[in-house]
Amino acid sequence: MAVISVNDISKSFGQTKAVQNVSFEVQKGRIFGLLGPNGAGKTTTIRMINHIIIADGGDITINGTHVSPETQKMIGYMPEERGLYKKMAVGEQLIYLARLKGLSFQEARRATRHWLERFNAADWFHKKVGELSKGMSQKIQFIATIAHDPDIYIFDEPFSGLDPINSEMLKEIVIELREQGKTVLFSTHRMEQVEQMCDDICLFNHGKAVLKGNLRQIKHSYGKNTINIEFEGDHGFLDQLENVRINNRSTNFAEIRVLDGQDTQEILKTAMDHAEIYKFERVEPSLTEIFISTVGEDNINPNELV
Amino acid sequence: MSFRQILLVLKREYMTRLRSKGFIIATILIPLGMIGFVGVMVGIAVWDTDSGHTIAIVDQTETIYPRLEKLAADKYADYLDASEDSLKSLVMSEQIDGYILLSEDHINQQAEPEFVSSGAGGLSLQSSVQADLRSAIRSERISRANISTDVQKIYESSVSLNTRKLTAEGEETDDNTGFLTIVGLVMGVIIFGAVLGYGGMLTRSIIEEKTNRIIEVITSSVKPIELLLGKMGGVGALAISQMVFWLVTFFALTSAAGPIAGMFLTPDMGAANPSDGAQGFDPSTFTLPEIELSLIIFFLVFFVLGYLIYSSLFAAVGAAVDSETDTQQFMFPIMIPIMIGYFIMFRAMENPDSTLAVVGSLVPFCTPIVMITRIAITDVPLWEIGLSILLMIGTFAGTMWLSAKIYSVGILSYGSSASFKELWKWIREG
Repeated sequence: MAVISVNDISKSFGQTKAVQNVSFEVQKGRIFGLLGPNGAGKTTTIRMINHIIIADGGDITINGTHVSPETQKMIGYMPEERGLYKKMAVGEQLIYLARLKGLSFQEARRATRHWLERFNAADWFHKKVGELSKGMSQKIQFIATIAHDPDIYIFDEPFSGLDPINSEMLKEIVIELREQGKTVLFSTHRMEQVEQMCDDICLFNHGKAVLKGNLRQIKHSYGKNTINIEFEGDHGFLDQLENVRINNRSTNFAEIRVLDGQDTQEILKTAMDHAEIYKFERVEPSLTEIFISTVGEDNINPNELV
Repeated sequence: MSFRQILLVLKREYMTRLRSKGFIIATILIPLGMIGFVGVMVGIAVWDTDSGHTIAIVDQTETIYPRLEKLAADKYADYLDASEDSLKSLVMSEQIDGYILLSEDHINQQAEPEFVSSGAGGLSLQSSVQADLRSAIRSERISRANISTDVQKIYESSVSLNTRKLTAEGEETDDNTGFLTIVGLVMGVIIFGAVLGYGGMLTRSIIEEKTNRIIEVITSSVKPIELLLGKMGGVGALAISQMVFWLVTFFALTSAAGPIAGMFLTPDMGAANPSDGAQGFDPSTFTLPEIELSLIIFFLVFFVLGYLIYSSLFAAVGAAVDSETDTQQFMFPIMIPIMIGYFIMFRAMENPDSTLAVVGSLVPFCTPIVMITRIAITDVPLWEIGLSILLMIGTFAGTMWLSAKIYSVGILSYGSSASFKELWKWIREG
């Protein structure tokens, strides 16, 4: 049985249709990525799963139970817009947040102490959050998300605003959680950042789920029709290529999607005439490329994809 | 709705504020400030009357000055030998504040005395001089008129008014109207100040949760209505704690005031002016008139209801705006009714049974301020009190409904403050 089951949900704000007829399922023990540009409806969907806002239509179940204050307690949620009470002490605050998730005072205190020690932060217990550095308060935010030991973790844009150390730490935590059999759902608009982490994905665009499934299978189905090329010299030759789409272009690198099945060796020849080639590799398309080819180039704002 | 969640929120709101230095300091400083304020006012009044005006009296009759001296020895000085020119120069150099030339004509009613002054002392000095002169000249006239001493005594005796109040139950009580008016005024002002102060505290705390971005973490555990009720309850509990602390301190101090005053003031003070019956003050029996328990209960009831009505509105304001600087346009419509109530209170103080006062005390937005002042001063019919409480409860249900709708949408809209049009949409669609 799916841990999170989203069935045909919709949500409008005034005239804006934020989410339209979205369905997907998240299986136990897997990392599920909700991908798409900003404003595609990811956060709205996540808020509905967390029962912060109520869907206009459709329904959502968590472990078979309709979303409710009870299902809220099964979820550890780290929103994109995150923060803590600045004037409250770290320990007191973590205990408070864990108790709101249904823990008793003793359980909450035990969990708080355990996680603070785990993060080498036991001596922060009496410090006010306002006195902590940004990186330190991000750690406290993680603890607030996971302290009540839920089975399901939802991170909305978890890497935005994180410093590199905490970014790495979060990746480790997510993978560790999966090893423990927990279920993780996270959203991001930075697709390349999460390619290595997700088992399953659901691509969002303009409030609709445009593609979903197992990430490996999706990539596999697109075939090895993409070229990663590294070179030195004039990159103007890239503009001469026909029937290709170029992503991730820089002065010495390009990801070239071959569109009409033409011979990739022709591209190599053109490239060799103009530049020195360091690397030429046929690969499966990147998630960005898959997204673009799914929704069509005209349907996205390229600035929203980084 | 989960009572447990509301209680957790309430406890946090209450405890974090109760322990804050700001609250402890304010709880101690506000009454001290009030006492200090009253002290300064009294000090000014005392300093003002004692400010030593000197009025030169040139009394050619030599009968009026002694009488003036008896009335106020400090104020009048005998300048019998001074010429008018030298008096004028004394006034101009501000060594004296004015002078009066008195002659037989004034006693014989052939001329009015003239008070020449630099203007110092203003109207109050003029009227006190007038009163003194009137009584001095009049008593001189009487003593010259050859009337029997009985009549003279009758004339000189003063009459003071002792007031007693008849309650609805037909009991006669000592009339404390003056004291109770002050009590009513103070209670009204405290409710006014506390509703605004604690309402503002609630607004700020909601804005803080929005700008801190903790609100989404909280709403993933708590329903907006639970959070709202918890916050209102927590801040309200804090307000009641403060009130109770002040009340207890007040009664402890006043019950101790008599004995303490007795220790410092007896017995010389009482003996100093034994002849002066009107101002006679026996410190050992000094106690404040009793404040009835029912008045204190009504005070708390009206405070709580007023707080609930206004705090629900203040909470909606906090949810609707994005930063504290944007609160102004929404605060304005809330401030109008409470300010109207505040002004009606002063009218009610002078005439607690006037139509304005009765109507004002029944309008729910003004009730807490106006009604408590009326109850303190006069016997308000029970049905009026009951009706006003019912109306307030009904109003609270309305404002709470409104607030809950605005709150549940507002707390999750970041980035910009809502307009009135948007608020209306939130209410309609929420």
